[in-house]
Amino acid sequence: MLRVLFMLAWRNLWRNHRRTFIMLAAIGTGVWAMIFMTALTRGMVDQMISDGIKEMPGHVQMHNPEFRDDPSVNNLIALDDAELAARFEDAEFKAWASRVRVPAIVTSERDSRGVTLLGIDPVSEREMSFVNYDDVAGRFLESSDDKGIVIGEKLAEILETEIGKRIVIMSQDPDNEIADRGLRVVGLFTASTSATEETYVFMGKKTAQKMLGIEGATTEVVFLGDDYRNVDPLYDAVVGKVDGNVEISRWYDVNTYLGTMMGVMDGFVLIWVIVIFLALSFGLVNTLVMAVFERIREIGLMLALGMKPGSILGQIVIESMLLLAIGLTIGNVLAVITILPLQNGIDISIVADGMEMMGAASMLYPALYANDMILANAVVLILGFLASLSPAWRASRYEPVEAISKV
Amino acid sequence: MKKPMLLLTLLLCSANGLADDDARGIVRAAIDHWRGLSSYTEMTMVIHRPDWERTMTMRAWTQGQDQSLVRIIEPRKDRGNGTLIDDNNMWSYSPKVNRVIKVPSSMMNQSWMGSDFSNKDIAKVDDIVDEYEHTLLSTEVVDGETVYEVQSVPNEDAAVVWGKEVMLISENHIVLEHDFYDQDGELVQQLRTLEVAEMGGRVVAKRQRMNDVATPDEWTEVKVNSVDYEVQIADNMFTLSNLRNPRD
Repeated sequence: MLRVLFMLAWRNLWRNHRRTFIMLAAIGTGVWAMIFMTALTRGMVDQMISDGIKEMPGHVQMHNPEFRDDPSVNNLIALDDAELAARFEDAEFKAWASRVRVPAIVTSERDSRGVTLLGIDPVSEREMSFVNYDDVAGRFLESSDDKGIVIGEKLAEILETEIGKRIVIMSQDPDNEIADRGLRVVGLFTASTSATEETYVFMGKKTAQKMLGIEGATTEVVFLGDDYRNVDPLYDAVVGKVDGNVEISRWYDVNTYLGTMMGVMDGFVLIWVIVIFLALSFGLVNTLVMAVFERIREIGLMLALGMKPGSILGQIVIESMLLLAIGLTIGNVLAVITILPLQNGIDISIVADGMEMMGAASMLYPALYANDMILANAVVLILGFLASLSPAWRASRYEPVEAISKV
Repeated sequence: MKKPMLLLTLLLCSANGLADDDARGIVRAAIDHWRGLSSYTEMTMVIHRPDWERTMTMRAWTQGQDQSLVRIIEPRKDRGNGTLIDDNNMWSYSPKVNRVIKVPSSMMNQSWMGSDFSNKDIAKVDDIVDEYEHTLLSTEVVDGETVYEVQSVPNEDAAVVWGKEVMLISENHIVLEHDFYDQDGELVQQLRTLEVAEMGGRVVAKRQRMNDVATPDEWTEVKVNSVDYEVQIADNMFTLSNLRNPRD
């Protein structure tokens, strides 16, 4: 019986092939738009998050409880470097590093800028830093008592300085006295947004500690795990290793904007898919209503010959499902073949300024997730099924005599 | 016979001292001379811009290398504004907001009272002695006066942005010219002594002008109206309460 219904539905589908093709084009385009746009926004958000995490860096961070409200050199972590090393030496983190992070001012002959000074141990941060050491013009810091400073290309432009020149960095020591010294620029890094290039300067950790008069102490410890989407195991491991007056936070506690972005994104994809489907559904229902309306007489005949109303309903629903299935296939294939060539990134530097305000980079890498594709397809099939029920129901409820005699 | 001998020894010593005077000594002597052990100065500062000019009269007290207090007398609306420097710390007071503000490191590069001097220029004059490598470039005799040309290159870790500074210092310890060069050897800023006069028993730079080479019609001129050296300064002079409530 089902076979017969299937065959009937299939043949009916191609009776008015022009209308079917138009409908297929609509469904195909709609599904393509769902998947393609989702991939673009996913790509953008993914990159914002991963850039954001790299910039912080680390999936879990440890601070003095006061530090996040007042990132000053007074709010040091109660555990000094030796103590930290002893506790985390044999821990199974992917990477961890302690660093000095304080606000500072850099000055050249021409200009000065407020920056965030990062006193780091370049060896232990290699894994997690947003700076790829090999991409740095000049060289990156080599050790934590390196006497050089690495700044962003954009900052160098603002300060009108270059590799090999000295700049002065100025901050405050714990007694609120000025702590400053000159350092030679040894490298210029590039980042995905120029705000990052303007904001961060890298100094050797020991050099920074000496300048600030806080030998052995740090303001931030960062931990890198395996997956930023699942940081709880790492968080628990860190919490288990420390006691005392420290605050341990997950990355989405530190940067709530990014954390929210990640949560909102899933909801956004669903809403986007449903909105497009709503537009599609009018076309779909209209097509089916038309198809049913054209065939009132033959539906009446089939009913008169003894076909059950349920089978009529099934036949129309199957017809709609077939239409959607073909449309989905076209849409999915279209989406994949348009996204694949763009995997190397889309240059959107024309609108880079606007994107930067959101913290996004000027290259957009679409991210195609199986989950998003399944979601789009499932939504279309389920809602399509529901939408086709109404015309199908109407068709199955005809009075055979009335239907046959309908002109 | 004894007296001429003594005189001769003295002469020799001073000549010797001068010959020995390395470049650092020349610079140190110039700074010490300018500061004195303690001083009280009345001066006028003119800030000149292409479309406006502003004149301020102020009083300044200094003691030793590290302490100084500057207070504005005129114009009236700025009266009472003051700056206190003690060691490397700097505070400013404005009667309008009735607040003493410690000048944070972030503001050290900003202009001092809207002039072409930065807070750092005012607060850290002495650093030039110790944080630089000094070399004597030349010694010239101008109008019967020996003028030393000293080049000062900041140490690698000195908190100084300049590539080098060149000073012309006269034998009576007056800085006649002070040029600030960037690290490409290009002149960026210059301080010129326009007038030298004897005041308070010493020969001092009476009028000095600071300007950016890039903007020659923007300058700040400081003119010393009167100065007393080795004055008795009250113990409470360099305190925050005195900055806020002047008792002079």
